[in-house]
Amino acid sequence: MTKGSPNNGNTRWSARVFVGLHLMLALYSLSSVCSKLAAGHAFMSWGFVFFYGAMVAILGIYAIGWQQVIKRMPLTTAYANKAVTLVWGLVWGLLLFHEQLTLAKVVGCAIVLAGVVLFSLADGDEGEEGRS
Amino acid sequence: MNGVLGFALLNLLGVFVSAVSQVLLKKSAMEDHGSMAGEYLNPLVVIAYALFVGATLLSTIAYKGIPLSMGPILDATGYIYVTVFGVLIFHERLDRRKLVALALILVGIAVYSLGL
Repeated sequence: MTKGSPNNGNTRWSARVFVGLHLMLALYSLSSVCSKLAAGHAFMSWGFVFFYGAMVAILGIYAIGWQQVIKRMPLTTAYANKAVTLVWGLVWGLLLFHEQLTLAKVVGCAIVLAGVVLFSLADGDEGEEGRS
Repeated sequence: MNGVLGFALLNLLGVFVSAVSQVLLKKSAMEDHGSMAGEYLNPLVVIAYALFVGATLLSTIAYKGIPLSMGPILDATGYIYVTVFGVLIFHERLDRRKLVALALILVGIAVYSLGL
């Protein structure tokens, strides 16, 4: 099977799984937001415990959702799309924490993203050759 | 940028600890535990989850000093450990494209850091 292009009969159904995958990845990116919010509070203060707890809860929901998603789509596609969390980092950083978007940050992020996607594709090809 | 470096190193340590925890989980999954309780309550799995909690704490402390956008960037170093552990512990073949991918990740981190 070609990676990233599911069987014809499954196309519509796969589009829903794809949306589900990206909802999960967007949720995952919020765990970093909670982590950063926890970091703004003194260690083990109520604020810290609340946001750290929220982070762990999000990771738990994500883990369950991820299991459901990878049952329904090629693992390679799922892992390659994980790179989108890099973009979410820039977006949430800009919108929620007023972090500056510099050219070097955006270009650096794009290079890392290319690396993550290439790694996932290479890993997927190995799997097809019968790696357990 | 100097203030960021120490916190970035904490984050990198967290990513490494997280990778070690993944290896322990995979090792445990490859063993036969006889019962379902044994699959979840054996020393490897318990240590793995303890390490995972440690890794999340390290990344949270790191966020005291690094921008939010830098977290996922540094997380990408996890692919380096996945590759090294894959070859050393699980005897996987090393794909040349993976080396290119890892080089891209390192270059990307360097370029991103210039923009801080």
